[in-house]
Amino acid sequence: MSTYLQFAVIKFRNKMAYRFDYLLGILNTLLSFVVYWSIYKALYGGASEVDGVTFSMVTTNFIISLGLSSAFYKNEMFLQDKIKQGTIANELLKPVNFKLRMLFEDVGEGAFNVAFNFLPTVVIAAFFANLSAPSSVLNVLLCLVSVVLGYIVLWQISFIVQSWSFWLFNVWGLITIKNVFVNILAGAYIPMWFMPDWLRNVIRFTPFASIYFTPVQLYLGELQGWDILINFARQLLWIVILYVIGEFCWRRGIKKLVVQGG
Amino acid sequence: METIIDVNNLCKTFKIHKRGTGFKGAVKNIFHPTYEYKKAVNNVSFSIKEGEMVGFIGPNGAGKSTTVKMLSGILYPDSGDITVAGYVPHKQRKEYVADIGVVFGQKSQISWDLSPLDSYEVIKHIYKIPDKKYKENLERFTELLDMGKFINQPVRQLSLGQRMRADIAAALLHSPKIVFFDEPTIGIDVVGKDKIRKFIKMLNQTDNITMIFTTHDMQDIEKTCERLIIIDDGKKLYDGSLENVKKGYVSSRIIEAEFESLPITLDLPRTEISDVENNAMKKLISFNTDEVSVNELMTALMNTHNIKDVSIREPEIDAIIRDIYEGKIVMN
Repeated sequence: MSTYLQFAVIKFRNKMAYRFDYLLGILNTLLSFVVYWSIYKALYGGASEVDGVTFSMVTTNFIISLGLSSAFYKNEMFLQDKIKQGTIANELLKPVNFKLRMLFEDVGEGAFNVAFNFLPTVVIAAFFANLSAPSSVLNVLLCLVSVVLGYIVLWQISFIVQSWSFWLFNVWGLITIKNVFVNILAGAYIPMWFMPDWLRNVIRFTPFASIYFTPVQLYLGELQGWDILINFARQLLWIVILYVIGEFCWRRGIKKLVVQGG
Repeated sequence: METIIDVNNLCKTFKIHKRGTGFKGAVKNIFHPTYEYKKAVNNVSFSIKEGEMVGFIGPNGAGKSTTVKMLSGILYPDSGDITVAGYVPHKQRKEYVADIGVVFGQKSQISWDLSPLDSYEVIKHIYKIPDKKYKENLERFTELLDMGKFINQPVRQLSLGQRMRADIAAALLHSPKIVFFDEPTIGIDVVGKDKIRKFIKMLNQTDNITMIFTTHDMQDIEKTCERLIIIDDGKKLYDGSLENVKKGYVSSRIIEAEFESLPITLDLPRTEISDVENNAMKKLISFNTDEVSVNELMTALMNTHNIKDVSIREPEIDAIIRDIYEGKIVMN
């Protein structure tokens, strides 16, 4: 494991080298928060709650989704670039598990984003926006566990789409489409509370609900007792299913790999 | 000595997407893609013993690199068996690659933005090299490859020769049992090539590392290897001692001469005259020094013709391969 952590540490250190970049990153994160916050402020128009959802719950949802989307970093061009440039050969010559190595590099960058983009944004946002406190310490811990599980779900979806570059060489378009689906269906743009019931019921059977919404609900204490376990089980089930699909694509891909150049 | 690499009936075919030219071709290609199949490696078998140093030679596109990529576990063969040091490379990739080192002349393995030394630290972690061994190897390679001056500079600032040396050290830090060099001297000047060849040769002798060396530079092989495998068009043409090839190779010579008048007649055994493109007055005369000495040939030429200019050429690798095709070099 220490070998893989090394990949995360190197990535973190590399990111530190670009100071201007992270100042802009804070500004960027803060701006997107302010935009969503203002839209929903106008929509609520002073009402304290809509459909039983308070304005501070919505604000908190956005803060958590924002935090998660900066923590949930994934370099979606990683595999495509390596295959296009033929440098995948060098990767395969390292005595490490390729997927884990890829995952940990992303974890390193995600950790950097949380420390230098997200946390400063929360501190600034707390001055003007009314954020909901977590319902209990236990809820925060449960939320953190489901964050980790949610990330593995999201990362694997990305990996599966990336692995198609073995056949297609260029998957940028597919990645973009995938991201639209993930962002909408996972509730990053519109909180799932406001979605029509039928859509919510459909999403419940997809991996998308496990990504952002489960952690948010756990943080706010919306889930109790058995529901918590069911949600964890759902996340774990998706991790297993996506792992099997990902492994299948990877193994087929590596067999037909063509090393470009030289 | 034990056999360390065993390859039987290895085959690999690539599917090549044939693209039309121009806009019309590009449009046609979307609706009706056409493919052609190229046998990059066609039924190749050989075995290599521990500590051997084998040169793989052949023109561009002959299938050398594809073979090396299959041997190092990067590519899956279509059919045939490979066993290297007890592993099946493509099936046990992760465990296997810890025991080998690979140097690609055309792909750097060290990070562009970091100095070689920083990259070596990362390699140390990836391969879990013990501190003592890492320090020993690093000191030794820094000295032998003369890297002291640039080991702390970012790789992007290094010359090609320096980068290549840094790359070679990177592939050897974990003391691999087998090292593959895929065109390690490509694009490097004479002095640089010499340094690399000497280092490789020395390492093979002192550390008993098995080495496979692909190149299309005959000099590389001459300076380093004793055994030679010639590959062309995916097939193995020759597998045997370098000496055997050299006999045919060293004794055949080509003279390029420009004459003042034509035609040219020569009455010497096994001497052929061929034309040069774009210059009717220039001819290539190929002969074998075992049968006709340079002296004899020149005297014969000077006596009967007026010569404006003359130069002696050594045959290129293509010529050797042609000779093998035509049976002038005996295969064992």
